[in-house]
Amino acid sequence: MSTAQPQPRAVTGADYRRRQTIAAWTRTGVILVSSVVLLFYVLAPVAWLVSSSIQTEAEIVSVPPHWIPEEPTLQNFRAIFKATEEEEVTYENRSGVDPAAGGFIPSTAQNLLPAMWNSFLVATLVVIFNLLVGVPAAYAMAKIRYWGRNGSVYFILITRVIPDIALVVPFFLVIRKLGLLDTISSLVITYLAITVPFTVFILIQYFEGLPDELDKAARVDGCSRLQSLLRVFLPLSLPSLVAVVLFTFLTSWNEFLLALMFTQTEASQTLPILLASFTSDFTISFSFINAAGVLAIIPPVIVAILFERYIVSGLTAGAVKG
Amino acid sequence: MAVLMAVAVFPILYSLWLSFFRMKLTRPNRTPFVWFENYTDLLGNELFWVSVARTVTFTVTSVAAIAVIALLVSLLLNQDFRGRRVLSTILLIPWAIPYVANALMWKWIYDSGYGALNGVLYQLDFIDKYMVWLGDQDKTIFLIANAFVWKEVPLATILLLVTLKSIPADLYQAARVDGAGIWQRFTHVTLPSMKPGFMLVMIYETMMAIRHFDLFFILTEGGPGDASHVLSWHIYVETFRNLSFGSGAAMSYILAIVTFVLAYFIIRFLGRRV
Repeated sequence: MSTAQPQPRAVTGADYRRRQTIAAWTRTGVILVSSVVLLFYVLAPVAWLVSSSIQTEAEIVSVPPHWIPEEPTLQNFRAIFKATEEEEVTYENRSGVDPAAGGFIPSTAQNLLPAMWNSFLVATLVVIFNLLVGVPAAYAMAKIRYWGRNGSVYFILITRVIPDIALVVPFFLVIRKLGLLDTISSLVITYLAITVPFTVFILIQYFEGLPDELDKAARVDGCSRLQSLLRVFLPLSLPSLVAVVLFTFLTSWNEFLLALMFTQTEASQTLPILLASFTSDFTISFSFINAAGVLAIIPPVIVAILFERYIVSGLTAGAVKG
Repeated sequence: MAVLMAVAVFPILYSLWLSFFRMKLTRPNRTPFVWFENYTDLLGNELFWVSVARTVTFTVTSVAAIAVIALLVSLLLNQDFRGRRVLSTILLIPWAIPYVANALMWKWIYDSGYGALNGVLYQLDFIDKYMVWLGDQDKTIFLIANAFVWKEVPLATILLLVTLKSIPADLYQAARVDGAGIWQRFTHVTLPSMKPGFMLVMIYETMMAIRHFDLFFILTEGGPGDASHVLSWHIYVETFRNLSFGSGAAMSYILAIVTFVLAYFIIRFLGRRV
């Protein structure tokens, strides 16, 4: 240890105040700079995606790129929405570019809206069934003492952590045997298997937080188990129910791997599958792919922003998301 | 409950059963029972080990990056300032975006002809000609990891933020009284208190990273060469392109067991709260 430590200068009042001000300014500066960096990090990729989606094909291939489109156009979105209603996008009326040079709008553009509809339908069905199965299960595990209760809680945890890719093969064989390949129900069934454990896990924690006396009081007043669940617990657990619904919806909307295995035609293809098929086709217009990407991110982003509070509380309660 | 069991348990057991067969859809009538041969074959398979190595690279890189970035962001969001709520809401955007859209977005950013990455670096004079980013064997996996990190940081941040918020203010007061500066307060109070949160984030993100599939499927399909040939991609190729369900299932099992070991820790951690 060295002994020659310089004595700190005596701190006067003015010195102290000045130091405080400097510290405060530094703090503000650091916060400001890092906020800007963070904003840029999060938003720049998305902004670029959106910006590309409204550029014309001629503009999007400029080098260096135009960060802000000079002549913004909605032609890509128009193509997506019109494709189903009025005219099919065909080889003749695509953007009028030589397909060899790339940059045309694929005929599968007309599948985009149905695929979105499929995604929406699957997600909604999964949410409904998920609640029907998950809520009673969570209630039972939280409030009814029965043999094997702890076992089932751990079991639920275990099913949550198995990688989807490990389940793909058996799921595929089962679904094929049931003759459900390329149907929406195959997706609903398998997504339920993924999402229900998560629902149960979050709800158990919430139900356990509610006092047992509530349950007892309801039962003394002559409620059945079911009534006690419906009339007492559900209204109280609304916030966590919202979180569960949101997660289930987003998981189903975003899921890719299982949908890739089970769906083949537009009868059941979900949006991610169609997007993926665009990306592997080099002839398709870049701005069109980006427009499709924008369409795919709009619903989940809106949901996330509207329900931010519920999502954060759900994430922290569940601590893990599937 | 019974339904849940049926949907969740049956596939697991069925998959174990399958992994003992030499099952190929190209030869539907000959599916001999081979015990552990699928597993022992794997140990001698070069591509399998390549994929394990790639998976490890990908996982270590992304988990480390996620932990560091999420730590910085959560420290920022733990401060009180105007616009904090807006910032944390915006932070949720990457989390909400579907992985496929995320992949599509980064594919376009990395695009060799007209991508943003080339554009930025070119305009800033870091490169004098456009590069084929994803075609570079040495860089591919890190670029994919970057896309993965971008998407996973919000969740990790939220988890860390909870731990940060739970550190009692008294601790800081006490440290201040003892004469600890900002840096000392950070290393002696903040970091040790965040350990449980960190463990959770690391384990969870590791689990997510080793099983990750979507980005590899869309960005590179395992290429160039075998530069991004990770385990989950290997399973996919083996099962659905080579249609060899038996060895696919065997590999899935190995992956599942690794995840289980990790999960054991996460469950022990969470189990305290259940």
